[in-house]
Amino acid sequence: MLSSANSTLAKPSVPLRSLEIRLHGRGGQGGVTCAKIIAAVYAGLGKSVQTFGDYSGERSGAPVRAYTRVSDSPIENRNKIYLPDHLLVLDPTLLSDEVLAGLAPGGTLLVNTPEPPEKLAGRFEAQRLATVDATAIARRHKIGARSVVIVNTTIAGAFARALDLPLAALEEAYRHLGLLSNFPAAREAYEKVSIRPPLKEGVAAKAPTSLPVLPTVMPLVDHVESPPTALRTGNWRTETPAYVENLAPCSVFCPAGNDVVGFIQALATKGEAAAAEVLGRTTPLAAVCGRVCPAPCMEGCNRAELDGSVNIRGIERWISGKHPIAAREPKACAQPKRLAVVGGGPAGLSAAYTAAKLGHRVTLFEGERALGGVLRTGIPVYRLPRAALDQEVGDVVRLGVEVKSGQFLDRARVAQLPREYEAVVLATGLQKLRGLDGPGQALAGVEQGIHFLHRVNLDGQVKLSGHVVVLGGGNTAMDCARSALRAGASKVTVAYRRGRAEMPAIPEEVVQAEEEGVELVFLVAPLGFSGSGRVESVELAEVELGPPDDSGRRAPRVSDRKRSLRCDGVLLALGQSADLSLLPEGWKLQDGRVLENGRPLPVFAAGDLSTGDGTVTHAIGDGRRAATRALRLFDESVAEFVRPDRAKAVPATDIRFDHFAKSAPAHGRHLPAAARARSFDEVDAGLSEGLEAHRCFSCGHCTSCDTCLVYCPEGIVRRAGAGYDIDYSMCKGCGICVTECPREAMEMRAL
Amino acid sequence: MTMELLSANHASAVAATLAGRANRSARGFGSGVYPITPQTECIELLCNQEFEKGHVVRVESEHSAMAVCMGFALSGARTFTASSSNGLAYMNENVFAAGFYRLPIVMMAVNRALGPPWNIWVDHGDTLSLRDAGWVQLYCETNQEVADTTLAAYRLAEDRRVMLPVMVCQDAFILSHTMMMTDIPEQAAVDAFLPALDLPHRVSNRPRTVGGLDTPHETEAHRRQQEVAMGQVQPVYAEVQAEFLKHFGRKLADPVVSYRADDAEVLLVSMGTIAATVRTVVDEARAKGVRAGALRVRMFRPFPAEVLARAMAGKKRVGIIDRNLCPGLGGILWSEMRALAPAGCLVQDYMAGVGGGDVRPHHLKWILDDLCSRPEAGAPIFLEVG
Repeated sequence: MLSSANSTLAKPSVPLRSLEIRLHGRGGQGGVTCAKIIAAVYAGLGKSVQTFGDYSGERSGAPVRAYTRVSDSPIENRNKIYLPDHLLVLDPTLLSDEVLAGLAPGGTLLVNTPEPPEKLAGRFEAQRLATVDATAIARRHKIGARSVVIVNTTIAGAFARALDLPLAALEEAYRHLGLLSNFPAAREAYEKVSIRPPLKEGVAAKAPTSLPVLPTVMPLVDHVESPPTALRTGNWRTETPAYVENLAPCSVFCPAGNDVVGFIQALATKGEAAAAEVLGRTTPLAAVCGRVCPAPCMEGCNRAELDGSVNIRGIERWISGKHPIAAREPKACAQPKRLAVVGGGPAGLSAAYTAAKLGHRVTLFEGERALGGVLRTGIPVYRLPRAALDQEVGDVVRLGVEVKSGQFLDRARVAQLPREYEAVVLATGLQKLRGLDGPGQALAGVEQGIHFLHRVNLDGQVKLSGHVVVLGGGNTAMDCARSALRAGASKVTVAYRRGRAEMPAIPEEVVQAEEEGVELVFLVAPLGFSGSGRVESVELAEVELGPPDDSGRRAPRVSDRKRSLRCDGVLLALGQSADLSLLPEGWKLQDGRVLENGRPLPVFAAGDLSTGDGTVTHAIGDGRRAATRALRLFDESVAEFVRPDRAKAVPATDIRFDHFAKSAPAHGRHLPAAARARSFDEVDAGLSEGLEAHRCFSCGHCTSCDTCLVYCPEGIVRRAGAGYDIDYSMCKGCGICVTECPREAMEMRAL
Repeated sequence: MTMELLSANHASAVAATLAGRANRSARGFGSGVYPITPQTECIELLCNQEFEKGHVVRVESEHSAMAVCMGFALSGARTFTASSSNGLAYMNENVFAAGFYRLPIVMMAVNRALGPPWNIWVDHGDTLSLRDAGWVQLYCETNQEVADTTLAAYRLAEDRRVMLPVMVCQDAFILSHTMMMTDIPEQAAVDAFLPALDLPHRVSNRPRTVGGLDTPHETEAHRRQQEVAMGQVQPVYAEVQAEFLKHFGRKLADPVVSYRADDAEVLLVSMGTIAATVRTVVDEARAKGVRAGALRVRMFRPFPAEVLARAMAGKKRVGIIDRNLCPGLGGILWSEMRALAPAGCLVQDYMAGVGGGDVRPHHLKWILDDLCSRPEAGAPIFLEVG
């Protein structure tokens, strides 16, 4: 019944007269919107316009076309554009004869490419060639989806310049279309586009004169194979997805430099032994930090934005309770060096551990009888039971560290060390205690808190009575207050010169102290003490908070309003500093290294002596840093530990919260306040299980969660080993895997 | 009145919104919608409109979309929905029901080829398959026509003499996704053009069954009444055209749009956007001395047989361009028109652009040449455009 007409000839037709623009891009680049912007510019100039896209079944990445017609008279033509006056190409990989087909000689060819027109010498010589790096401009202006740059609104600016359209008309079109926020990128492209005039005459293409001879289509009843077809969609790609490891904030925030996300994920997937091994790479003191660390990692934890930080401190303690942390055997070392470490606190222990683990011979000098420094003399046993401390200190010593304890070194002895040892690390901590410049500090009952804690911790059996006032707001103040209660004080008051928000103490410690009955008084500064022989009251001045000072905390301003607080004892916890009088004559500390008369010695300062940061975790990190610097004098293959930049950590905004079910953080098991307030038993029994590790987002670290595999619209992500393979011959570069990655462990890269 | 750069999808949604709001003093506006390419942009825009009195209900299928419209319409609301292709096929049962209920629903249909194998491009076969459903069918050529016809469709459908649903058809992508400057009237002008809907058979506070069992005689009567109403469409449409001109200052296109047809010997007849390309070919032929002309069939139901017969009177050759295929027959427009040709007139059917191929001047030129040179009419010719 039907006859075919396709083999018969027909005469040519005259194309409609109008300005015709064709655009080539890839799905997702916004070609249709680009064509619409151009139409809107001309519409604003009073022209009749028509704009449309070429729609197909393909999605992002597929070659797509869009069209704009402009005319002084009403446009009736409804055909596509085959003989364009101008051509826009959003992706240089599309430049083919098929794309260029029909372009009028002398017409403008605008290409999105970083190459200037001269680089395309020998091509498109009959055309006016314009190039602009719209991708780079759009990327700089952050235009696009979360993963993929979108160039349409940028390159339209270059087109306007190439066709001498006024910038004001372009801006008006952006305003009309609600795209004004993208206009700066368009203006940049307008300014940066390079244009080369046509270099030679060309021959205009003609409309077809005959019906096309079309390929034979296989009858449906003859089909025996299913899709997919052999279409290699990989060449549609303008950007490429890749698996990457980004910095997790917990690890970046850890002053000790622990691979926090690493040990949590090791616990979650492989168990305590694997997690302990990860921890042992950077610290021997997990049972310590798992109890007393202020946990900056938890401050950085992105989970705080969803349902509360992962209880990292609790997890670290959990691991240390299940498995020893420190490495058991030193590495074989071809040329072991002799290293002296002065000070057996956390910085010294960390330095000794770092060197001993690598097979060097370490001698550790400690003034007290037992190692541990402030961990032993300062931190009360109800926070850090000595069995846990002894275990970890012992593990460091068992690596082959020679310990010389019970004798504080004087300056002369220190000066000798560089002659006896190939390198020296000084880690003497904060030995200078801040007092109070006021009357009455010599009264009986006024004592430095550090001395009080030393007595309680080493001598035991210290008795207090009556009302004890603690001056200060840091962890030493909290330790003094809670230890005073346990030593028999009937009432303890902490007086701090700033507000609660400014307290440097760990917030949980403050809460626990209050639960135990410690009273807090804020915004008061001590002026002096009164009493006859023995202290009877503290004189306080009221304080107002001014603008933030160098530490970022609001600076206290002492007023003339005074009051008196009756008491039976005072503990000073006003701060500590490094005692540099230990350094021999002619030694000077510069950037953590000792110079003797300007000449560098193989002597490095570590921990609070060097930094004054005042936490165990900072001391551990800096001890390792000092040790690695010392070892690099002999072996450059030792990497110096440098703390990474916090700004480089994966931010919470890059985590896809909708991939995670909400679950509250697990907390430690605390003794009831009434029961613990008069006892030196450990307050916190830690987590009851290690499941908290499963709350970790694993920011920036692939967990093989299969999200990329599941979301890939092409189905071309496959498991391979511990990770994935992407079939790049098929990957369109749509960026969906990167957008959907819950933990920012993928990124799009330029081709 | 404002000129806006709109796709015809958006133009129809904007027009439906204006019409819906115009009924706010009466029973308001209601719509059931389900998306399908290439109609989706229309209902997306509709879903983002605010109605003082009205709801757009997002349902799970086209069948339900039409059911929701029937419910709204029976309660006296002005209604709108949109669909396309296989969506219309799935809606089919309720399309007939709306026609038989005599509900003045307006539906925008984007003409798209039926599948499988899937094809998203223009083909008139989907709505033409609904030609017996008791709906008025109007096919558009331009974006402005889509906007204007949608507004006018309400005035026509809701006329007491008509009370029939109206389908406003537009070509997939060539209209639906093509943006052109479109004149959108102010709400006040639409309020004045569209009186509040007063549905005579509205279900109000007293519950009753609608569309229960008809005896054979009742069905005979209802069918006849439906046909009488169809017979009123053309005279009422002429009145609507006059009102439209009065309110908006623009002519609403005729049921059959002729181009250089009066003195023509050879006519090309088409529907939808192909008509624009036909005109360029007619102009070229005239320039070479061929007395060519063109007709565009805008109203397919009721079929404007008398108008077409008059237009074909005295013509020697008529080529019908069908953007559809009725398997086992040929083109549907051809099958309805060939009986209207005067004695001795050669009527030849050409199917072109089935499945959405771009029908360009050289295709139509080939058709005109074939029409002018063939000794007699033959079987329908299927042109592969590619």
